[in-house]
Amino acid sequence: MRVLIATVKVPFVWGGAEVHAAGLRDALSAAGHEAEVVAVPFKWYPPERILDLMLACRLLDVTASCGAAVDRVIGLKFPAYFVRHPNKVHWVLHQHRPAYDLWDSPLNEMRDSPGGARVRNAIREADRRLLPEARAIYTNAANVSKRLKKYNGLDSTPLYHPPQHADKFYRAPAEDFFFFPSRLEGLKRQALVLRALAHTRQPVRVRFAGAGLRPDSLRELEAEAGRLGVRRRVEWLGQVSEEDKRREYARCLGVIFPPLDEDYGYVTLEAMLSSKAVVTCADSGGPLEFVVDGRTGLVAEPTAEGLAAALDRLWGDRGLARSLGEAGRAHYEALGISWQRVVERLAA
Amino acid sequence: MRILITTVQVAFVRGGAEVLAEGLRDALAAAGHEAEVVAVPFKWYPPERILDLMLACRLLDVTASCGAAVDRVIGLKFPAYFVRHPNKVHWVLHQHRPAYDLWDHECGDLIRFPNGTQVRDAIRDADQRLLPEAKAIYTIAGNVSRRLKEYSGLDSTPLYHPPRHADKLFCAGYDDAFFFPSRLGPLKRQGLVLEALAKTSRPVRVRFAGAGDAGSGQAELEARARELGVEGRVEWLGRVDDERMRREYARCLGVIFPPLDEDYGYVTLEAMLSSKAVVTCADSGGPLEFVVDGRTGLVAEPTAEGLAAALDRLWGDRGLARSLGEAGRAHYEALGISWDTVVQRLAA
Repeated sequence: MRVLIATVKVPFVWGGAEVHAAGLRDALSAAGHEAEVVAVPFKWYPPERILDLMLACRLLDVTASCGAAVDRVIGLKFPAYFVRHPNKVHWVLHQHRPAYDLWDSPLNEMRDSPGGARVRNAIREADRRLLPEARAIYTNAANVSKRLKKYNGLDSTPLYHPPQHADKFYRAPAEDFFFFPSRLEGLKRQALVLRALAHTRQPVRVRFAGAGLRPDSLRELEAEAGRLGVRRRVEWLGQVSEEDKRREYARCLGVIFPPLDEDYGYVTLEAMLSSKAVVTCADSGGPLEFVVDGRTGLVAEPTAEGLAAALDRLWGDRGLARSLGEAGRAHYEALGISWQRVVERLAA
Repeated sequence: MRILITTVQVAFVRGGAEVLAEGLRDALAAAGHEAEVVAVPFKWYPPERILDLMLACRLLDVTASCGAAVDRVIGLKFPAYFVRHPNKVHWVLHQHRPAYDLWDHECGDLIRFPNGTQVRDAIRDADQRLLPEAKAIYTIAGNVSRRLKEYSGLDSTPLYHPPRHADKLFCAGYDDAFFFPSRLGPLKRQGLVLEALAKTSRPVRVRFAGAGDAGSGQAELEARARELGVEGRVEWLGRVDDERMRREYARCLGVIFPPLDEDYGYVTLEAMLSSKAVVTCADSGGPLEFVVDGRTGLVAEPTAEGLAAALDRLWGDRGLARSLGEAGRAHYEALGISWDTVVQRLAA
């Protein structure tokens, strides 16, 4: 089958969405399909640009190429998933969140722009009317399906895929630190973890990996750690290689992953593959699809006190940390997450 | 500088245009710029789709990305070069040739549609009006500049770039066959070479490398060779890898490259780098910018008889074949073709 994957690209930014599209392309090729990614450049400000881009995506013709039919289009991201094709299937990574669950977030530029509310309504209307053009709507996580249902009234089926290099994660004896790998940004809530450390009764230590979304993200977090008096209990590794990341996963006592309403979250799965307990929060979204409280990790209230209690508990009971981690690995295996299943559904 | 290269993507087809865009991106990166390719999917039939795509390209906003300015856009191909940017420079690969020099050629499709004339005129109008929005117009070859002047009345400057593996081509003598590497198709005129072979007075031999579009081409050409009774003097290598390609250049007696009005033509340059004489035709376009008749190759009339005479001459005078080839190599060196020069001009 000749399959095109429709997504967007933010020029000069490389992240999970690109890894995801490339992973799907490679999995389709491995299953004997011809697959290629079409990526439309995405700029979401001022808000009316989003309307222009929605129209541009409707104007593209990807039904055939150079005289031969394109058999299937797989739509991943707004608004590239609006390209027309008689045999389209969605695998929604996420909608344009500033028009939905992030509308009330303090950093939402769209809400603060003139015309922002109208653009929001146009986005919601387009999603509601045009997404059902596809033969099927899959999402990358139940949390994304939940939002599609809540905001657009659309039913969809979550379809999980493994993180990159899933077979390379391993475990080593636990050392005296928690690991928190993520881009440094508000939605991931590294600052909440710093505040939790100020409340722990045990000398809990945390290693953070990841670069800042903005140039001064790291400096701000370091200053916050200084103010809270926890500077010597945290370490900032910055951007690390995949190999170094896997080593930190392997050696840590457990993984902290408390984002605000994450779509899916590779971190949870990578922790489980490394046989580590995951500490997350009750409002973290995607991780809650995998972390069973008290069995494969701990689900805390999203407060400094709540998170502190969970960290104290694992720091003081290494046997528990270990058994939750082992149960996490077994749980991952039982879920049967594989690219093969993803490809079977999307190319069906 | 943060630079975006805008071009088009024909899904599932990879050719010289993709190689060029990536070559430019790598050369910009090597010169310390951040560079990325934006490719818009291109389908040119039915003709009204071209109008849709022209509009889609005008709707894209690539002036900035994620809050930081894009400093320059380099436009390569129609209609992706219509993307708006205050600091745009064109390096035109070619215009949409079915609206220009291929309008009434057998390879042109536009003329066959009821609305073909209207769409042709819209394309010509858009090129004429919108290309001058850029700060400068460069082209990849004098032949492309000549067409821009002839059809659109626009002045431009040719800017040559080296073939992909310029430093790896070599010469290993002069054996008993000419070499003709190219995609098999009517614009490259392998058929004309077969007809020439039927007219040569000497037992001239030719090795063809390259595959046909969508698998077609070779079978028809083989049948034609049998009809003409020259099947014992030709060899079809099909698609070959880079290393094999360089070996074939290295050992051949000379290179045949008689396309119809080629834009630029890597084959000419690769032959010169391999110290081989180039046999081309008076209507071949790009090659004529490099082949000096009787000094670095032979320029024949585009007829079976004309081409046959040129092939006979080199076949019978190996010393001449060698000295033209050596002069070709010296001529290439003297031209000073380099990515450095290209990047300096396009990022100036």
